[in-house]
Amino acid sequence: MPDLPPILTSLAWPIAIAIAWLAGEFGQRWTGLPRISFYGLVGFVLAGPQGAVLPLPDSGPVALLADIGFGLILFELGYRINLRWLRTNPWLGAAGLTESLLTFGVVYLIAIAFGSSQLVALMMAALSMGSSPATVVRVINEQRSSGQVTERVLHLTALNCVLAVFAFNVIIGFWIFRTFDAVGEALWQSLVMLAGSALLGALFGVLVPALLRAIRNPRQDATLAYAIAILLLVAICDAGTLSPYIAALAFGLSARHRRVAFSAAQRNFGALGGLLTVLLFVFAASTLDWRQIAAGSALAVAVVLARLATKTLAVTAFAHLSGVSWRKGALTGLGLAPLSVFVILLIEHARHAGVHVVDELRAMAAVTMLLEVFGPVIIQRALIWAHESTTDPEPPHAA
Amino acid sequence: MPLEAFTPSQPLTFGVELELQLVSLSDFDLTAASPDLLHLLQRHPFPGNVTPEITESMIEINSSVHTAYGPLLAQLREIRDTLVAASDVLNIGIAGGGTHPFQHWSQQKISSKPRYEYLSQLYGYLAKQFTVFGQHVHIGCANGDDALYLLHALNRYLPHFIALSSSSPFVQGHDSGFDSARLNSVFAFPMSGRAPFILSWQEFTDVYFAKMERTNIIKSMKDFYWDLRPKPEFGTIELRVCDTPLTVERAAAIAAYLQALCHYLLARPEAPPLEDDYLVYHYNRFQACRFGMEGSLTHPKTYDTVPLRDDILATLEKMMPHAEALGSVEALQHLAATARGGSDAAQLRQVFEREGSVESMVHAAIQRFRGDRRMRWQRG
Repeated sequence: MPDLPPILTSLAWPIAIAIAWLAGEFGQRWTGLPRISFYGLVGFVLAGPQGAVLPLPDSGPVALLADIGFGLILFELGYRINLRWLRTNPWLGAAGLTESLLTFGVVYLIAIAFGSSQLVALMMAALSMGSSPATVVRVINEQRSSGQVTERVLHLTALNCVLAVFAFNVIIGFWIFRTFDAVGEALWQSLVMLAGSALLGALFGVLVPALLRAIRNPRQDATLAYAIAILLLVAICDAGTLSPYIAALAFGLSARHRRVAFSAAQRNFGALGGLLTVLLFVFAASTLDWRQIAAGSALAVAVVLARLATKTLAVTAFAHLSGVSWRKGALTGLGLAPLSVFVILLIEHARHAGVHVVDELRAMAAVTMLLEVFGPVIIQRALIWAHESTTDPEPPHAA
Repeated sequence: MPLEAFTPSQPLTFGVELELQLVSLSDFDLTAASPDLLHLLQRHPFPGNVTPEITESMIEINSSVHTAYGPLLAQLREIRDTLVAASDVLNIGIAGGGTHPFQHWSQQKISSKPRYEYLSQLYGYLAKQFTVFGQHVHIGCANGDDALYLLHALNRYLPHFIALSSSSPFVQGHDSGFDSARLNSVFAFPMSGRAPFILSWQEFTDVYFAKMERTNIIKSMKDFYWDLRPKPEFGTIELRVCDTPLTVERAAAIAAYLQALCHYLLARPEAPPLEDDYLVYHYNRFQACRFGMEGSLTHPKTYDTVPLRDDILATLEKMMPHAEALGSVEALQHLAATARGGSDAAQLRQVFEREGSVESMVHAAIQRFRGDRRMRWQRG
């Protein structure tokens, strides 16, 4: 927006955040739909190519803030993951692997059928494996849900995100070298990146609780300390070539086992987390261009439907073996539908790494826009249908 | 509808009900997992019985009717092992303890059962605050008169059961200062406390219950939340003051202690209970809730005040011959060690001191409940 005075440009983000917040509050009140759906819509409408209020996404600090917002959410997701569960109930892990791989395969075939190049199809397939931790955690907290669908969606989301980051990095590596001879190299680099990020996160997970104990803090709420640590962790990963997402997830995972209170009252990291969530969703949607979305819409609808089908089918198939009803299995699969923010940030990272893949992935832009709005609604419905949401109206009283 | 007749049952048979906490292993808060757990347990032969409770983060298990401590303990262990195996499949923790140390009552979901929905409407937030976990012990009685006699003769011993089972020191994230804070939630209900001093079953049904029914406040015995209440359809009296202990071993031992006391009292060795015994009743009960084993007890007849721990140890000693007759010496020895060493409440406080977080207390309670026994889930 070169024509506008600089003061207006600097106001663009605060104004966008304020509008998104208002839209979320009123939208939620009037429709009962999750607030984050409205954040995404506002971000999209105000974005450069559409409303031209927000600057183009390359501006650095906002992208870093979005990463930090996402880091807080991933920490919270990691904090809720119990790895031992995958050992005591191996069918859950089997369900996660199956749904991810099935989604990869089916999306790849669809993309090829729509005439995408092999590389683009592989990339779309990798991105489609994951679910959006931001949407999942945010809606679960908003609905204050608890139960098997909630727990399983959280665990499967963590699992499929790790798989998606791994696969995506392999394919990015492959893209950079543009040759199949480099697959081994790309695989190795992706593995090293994953392991390095996880190690760094785990190190934070050991050091921060130890520090809190040393300063005799654990009885107080440690949320602020964790937030500062995530800020640092994300910045370190951004500066290096590590994945801040895997690192934040690993940080949460290892902090959980130290059992130094991350108070339940501070879910979403309180007001700080709330603010960064608005920013994250507005930012993510603001990177989308309606022209790309329009161009990729037919393929996008096919991918969204295929993803919904593969995830629901695969998780349902393992429902009985893993100890829940078929119905809850199906609802768990449905709850994995959200994708948007996760994909957008991964693509942004690829761009930072010098791989301009966005243009090639027009359909993915359309998929993310669809799921930015509908993903939160789908998981919200899944939780309500599973009777796990505590914001349900109380059942009628039989006086 | 008049109160049903007292169904005679074999004297001194007994059974145990335990209300248990369902805990999310992700944040150690209570989780509304009972529908999922009950669904899973339907697929597996379950020893005893398991039912939903007022909120979806609780379940109640009950043993069958037993005559001796050994089989009761064996069955409770079997129930525990089945529950632990099922909870592993669902990533939930199962724990005893009279309260969850940091759950917030406003977050609890009332189970979708007409009676619970009715209670929720009648009692408002008290119903959700009733997310507390108790052990109930039933003792079989030959007839209604024996039941009422036992019920009142036990008044002097009630603080023993409160102190020995106490495991609810923390409420809503803070140390309440009570060893059994759970009972404070029970006292809030208008029909809680002691039963009226009536020793004849005929008088209890024809006069007292008939009057209460005419008030329209009471429809059945379920509407009373007394510390000890008769249960005519089972032919038992039901002790309701105990917190759910952290282990099934302690739960079985407490039941065996009550059985031994009833065995002793039925021989009528003591002066018969009087209305005046209740002059000290509420204060004694308060002492046991507040200070546990460190509390004091005022004797209802002599008004002598003694340390509760000493009174428990002396009574356990006195009950030994009865325990020998009933086969529960081991149970009483277990309780004597508890009285000397410290209750579950004391142990939970130690965990908090050592680890510094309420989450750690829940983790410790889950580990205590599991015991050493592990079992793989058998898919049905």
